[in-house]
Amino acid sequence: MTLRDRAAAWLHEPLVHFLLAGAVVYAMLSGRAPDLGERRILVDQAAVSQLAARWTQSFRRAPSPGELDGLIADYVRDQAYYREALRLGLDKDDEVVVKRMRNKMLALAASEAEAASPSDIQLQELIDKNPARYAAETRFSFDQVYVGADSPKSRDKARMALAKLRGGSRSEDVSQPVPIPLHFAGEPASTVASMLGDSFVASLRDLPTGQWSGPVLSGVGLHLVRVSARTAAAKPRLEDVRQAVENDWRANTARRAEDAAYRRILEGYDVVIEMPK
Amino acid sequence: MKAQLLCTAMLCAALSLTGCDKVSQAMAGQKAAADIPESAYPERVLWGDLHLHTANSVDAFGFGNRLGPEDALRFARGEEVTSSTGIKAKLARALDFVVITDHAEGMGSTMALYNAPRIMVRDPQVLRWYDMMHEGPDQSVQAMAEILQARAKGTLPPMFRDPAASAKRTHNVWNTHLDTVERYNDPGKFTAMMGFEYTLMQGGNNLHRNVIFRDGKDRVGQIDPLDPTNEATPDKLWDYMDAYQARTGGKVLAIPHNSNVSNGLMFMMSDGAGKTMTAAWAKRRADHEPVVEVTQIKGDSEAHPFLSPNDEFAGFGTNGWDIGNLMLTEAKKPEMYASEYVREALKRGLALEQKLGNNPYKFGLIGSTDSHTSLSTGDENNFFGKHTGNEPSARRAMATQSLGTTLGRFGWQYLAGGYAGVWAKANTRAAIWDALARREVYATTGPRMTVRFFGGADFKIDDLKGDWVKTGYARGVPMGGNLTVGTGARPSFIVSALKDPDGANLDRVQVVKGWVDSAGALHEKVFDVVWSDMARRKQAQGKVPAVGDTVDVAKASYTNTIGAPVLGTVWTDPEFNPAYRAFYYVRVLEIPTPTWPAYDALRFKIQLGPDVVTKAQERAYSSPIWYTPASAKPAAA
Repeated sequence: MTLRDRAAAWLHEPLVHFLLAGAVVYAMLSGRAPDLGERRILVDQAAVSQLAARWTQSFRRAPSPGELDGLIADYVRDQAYYREALRLGLDKDDEVVVKRMRNKMLALAASEAEAASPSDIQLQELIDKNPARYAAETRFSFDQVYVGADSPKSRDKARMALAKLRGGSRSEDVSQPVPIPLHFAGEPASTVASMLGDSFVASLRDLPTGQWSGPVLSGVGLHLVRVSARTAAAKPRLEDVRQAVENDWRANTARRAEDAAYRRILEGYDVVIEMPK
Repeated sequence: MKAQLLCTAMLCAALSLTGCDKVSQAMAGQKAAADIPESAYPERVLWGDLHLHTANSVDAFGFGNRLGPEDALRFARGEEVTSSTGIKAKLARALDFVVITDHAEGMGSTMALYNAPRIMVRDPQVLRWYDMMHEGPDQSVQAMAEILQARAKGTLPPMFRDPAASAKRTHNVWNTHLDTVERYNDPGKFTAMMGFEYTLMQGGNNLHRNVIFRDGKDRVGQIDPLDPTNEATPDKLWDYMDAYQARTGGKVLAIPHNSNVSNGLMFMMSDGAGKTMTAAWAKRRADHEPVVEVTQIKGDSEAHPFLSPNDEFAGFGTNGWDIGNLMLTEAKKPEMYASEYVREALKRGLALEQKLGNNPYKFGLIGSTDSHTSLSTGDENNFFGKHTGNEPSARRAMATQSLGTTLGRFGWQYLAGGYAGVWAKANTRAAIWDALARREVYATTGPRMTVRFFGGADFKIDDLKGDWVKTGYARGVPMGGNLTVGTGARPSFIVSALKDPDGANLDRVQVVKGWVDSAGALHEKVFDVVWSDMARRKQAQGKVPAVGDTVDVAKASYTNTIGAPVLGTVWTDPEFNPAYRAFYYVRVLEIPTPTWPAYDALRFKIQLGPDVVTKAQERAYSSPIWYTPASAKPAAA
């Protein structure tokens, strides 16, 4: 559910929920609980109009006088039960009520976050906080020759094959056939890892360049490898990674708004936890 | 109910105008797809999920999913998210692409119902469901199951059956969704595509299709998802797809799924309405539906033992799924299987082509998850369940899963899988879609095996040497292609399969051949073409001995001390008859590995029932290569 949906859904809660949410906001700002001593249930003109309008929207016609009376009676009944239930404290041990109230509070915080839009400075701060997350990956250019599953026999074969390659044989003529490329040109680490596994990529980082070496163990067996180039991860520039940073900023902002609202509320409470011995 | 929620939708419309501006501004700093070069031929397989539901799906929300498209996209590209039940979730390996396919029907409506004021819920039945949803997770799952049952039986309250009333809400949920997808599409690195599910049903019989667009919001945003309510055949969907292409200049295809629970309706010899199939209808189906999803959480539809009694590996993932239709409103009769399993459909396609000149069932194969948790989990040791009601927990494996009833299906019968392997020329929407359209794709039940398959007229064993992939493309056709051979020649195939680098070794590679003789009779045969340890495992009476079994169920572990990491060969059809239409596809089997219930049993210290499948040979299915006699009228592309 997007923040926008949540805000919209909240705005269209009925009056009873609206009033409650208002009371909660008020409580949040003032630190006081809503007054439950009020014994008058007022169904004013605005409330009646709203009930009628909702009916019209649903059924494509205005409610008859009898139907309107029914809507009002139902509204009053809800109010009466609701307030009485609150007075009796029935909300306090009801997990559903507790969770639903929490969700309403979250919707309020999220709607605030939705309105905001990040500045370049804010985005740059996010990059500076975690440059590795936004840095372009290390890229590798290399040739590989597949020898076979890891076994003493394959290691012997690898030694012979290595001699051939160092003697100038073409990798095409030495490799066992496998459905992965013999030549990799500037592929990012994640692409290589998806074909040969993480441990192979780790090995690539340490191999000498410009010469055949190995055997190197991958997720599929033994390889001989000649690395021709490694492009180190570049420092991320905002113009190259704006979309990714903005996505994170958006996700973070909703979380931050939620945390901040929670912290504000929590300041008004002493939390005492007694662990069972 | 839908009408009552319009107000919410309309407010969203007003708010979403600003969203578009933000998206276009944000386009900076993201490589445009046009900057990503396509290689001459596909060089590496891309992994993805073409079938995923989020909280916007009417059932997913009801089952408790609270994660929207943004969480789904972040998860697919490898980030950690917190599941709806509060568990930290992360893929061991990111996917290369994903398509979120929320149900078009009532998109966002369960969420809207849930968030609606109770006072506006008039219908007593709907009110009961509303209250159940608010009561707690278990009651919410039960309410959703009842809603789905009512839909299957045609007894939904009137307010649920008004597509016009939900159109506005769908429009707004859809547009917000497309904005999110645009923000996460990162051509060259992670492709987020646009699509939806067309949940076509006849009663409780599954005729579902996923609709996959090649384009971005500039085109896809011009139309809304199509609501299948009140439809019984896919014809309206095809009209809609034609209209989209004509109006926007974009491209779109549809992927049927779960033929296994269609109760004999997905691959009929007649047209969708049960009338005699015409050549035009056959062509229309093939043009719009070039790919079928053959394996997913709700079972595997490759081959059933009833249809393929000589195939000892038929029947993977059919437990529980072959007892009735999707909603279990109707039991299965044996005569239904032939219209439900993909191998039989491919054979029927040949017979229909022989008769009509066009093959309606000329499709490639993919796997996907159909996860309703927003989490594309295809690995046995990291399976987040079909829906939020069976995210990891001690009880999920043995719990009954029959929606709304206590009969039939159980948690353990869900499969952790599958994924789609796509031989695309770049990681972009266009390149992935084009690979689907030419069927250069394959299915796996979850593991990421690499599979190459080329058909030609004269391949010899030496062609699987050196730069053999280039040879395959130069002198043959890849999976999904059409093959003709000259007089006196035989179809020959280069096949090479590599284990998942983080997974199990391979047992064997098989070629599955289907053909139609001149009398119109259908035939099939499974050939073991290369397997591990061939010197020791000699074929006897046409069968290769079992590979063995290293699974320790109690420890949910296996070892790669049997099987082989790579299997390849060049195979020539020894029983080729040039006069008969035929197809050939590859099935790759892994060695046995533990299933997700075995991992659950270890993790949650639970006892599994005696029926539970605790180990299995996971597999890959390539798209077929079709042989057509040179004398035959060429099939429609």
